[in-house]
Amino acid sequence: MTNETERTGHTERRAREVFDASVAGLDADTRSRLNQARQAATAELDRARLPPWRTWAPAGALAAAALVAVLLWRALGTGAEPEQQAQAVANPADPAEILATGDDLDLVTEDLDFYEWVALETTEPGNGVG
Amino acid sequence: MTSSGSLDFTLTRGLADTGSTPREESALLQSRALDRFLAGVERRAYRIAQMALRHPDDALDVVQDAMLRLARSYGQRPSEEWQPLFYRILYNGIRDAQRRRTVRSRIFALWPGSSRDEDEAAGDPYEHVADGGPDPSDRLMATEAMAKLATALGQLPARQQQAFALRCLEGLDVAATAVAMGCSAGSVKTHYFRALQFLREQLGEVW
Repeated sequence: MTNETERTGHTERRAREVFDASVAGLDADTRSRLNQARQAATAELDRARLPPWRTWAPAGALAAAALVAVLLWRALGTGAEPEQQAQAVANPADPAEILATGDDLDLVTEDLDFYEWVALETTEPGNGVG
Repeated sequence: MTSSGSLDFTLTRGLADTGSTPREESALLQSRALDRFLAGVERRAYRIAQMALRHPDDALDVVQDAMLRLARSYGQRPSEEWQPLFYRILYNGIRDAQRRRTVRSRIFALWPGSSRDEDEAAGDPYEHVADGGPDPSDRLMATEAMAKLATALGQLPARQQQAFALRCLEGLDVAATAVAMGCSAGSVKTHYFRALQFLREQLGEVW
């Protein structure tokens, strides 16, 4: 039994020696790659420790920037409308546009009375204009 | 252990001088502890993975993945728990890699002209082993001894391989080995005893 135990002990010791020797003799390239893997794992621990809002912060910032851009674009779009309206008022030659606005139609009606009076004055003898 | 404790103490004092918050100090200490732990196990873990997978790149991938998973999932846990957890992740990775390899070899076996044996394709797994010894004959003997050990271990069932690697080569106690293997302490003892018996017969007196 003692001999059996000794033999088992020898196998354990020898296996450990051989394994340790092979670990110690690991080539430089593999050691370097293991070192890089360890650095990556340590960095992963630092990332995992960040609070959840820090993880979503870049996405939130991007969404906020997109929202601001949309709001600015819309604000600039409505700013251009008064300019177009001013241009339309400055050129009232189109009859369709005159008809489309009620104010302008009233103005035309008032002018019509004036034109009728002018016509009467000019057709009656002795009422020459000018 | 003493030097590690004094390093932590020095580090803590240094951080206190720079005005870091206790939370930042704790985070940095944990990060350094993980780095020390991984530095202590990475080479041995690589050799174990290499013996099981018989391919250097596959072994490196498995070890790298195990490190990342440990940091991501268990990095915040007390450092005393890391060793069994790390080896548990490592062996899960080894098992997954072996399964992937089996599936791949079955698929490629159906492919015409791909009858080359995978072990042959992988080459000698100990081609790059142990070039640090001063004497070439010693190096040769160490390489041969390691190759014999790896071959004998390769003939064991997976659970016996794990029990032997963790108990004998890594020096884990029965409880930690049980956690790493996900089984009872009694099962660990049984697997280890059988593995040892087999290796003793296989390797014999000449080894």
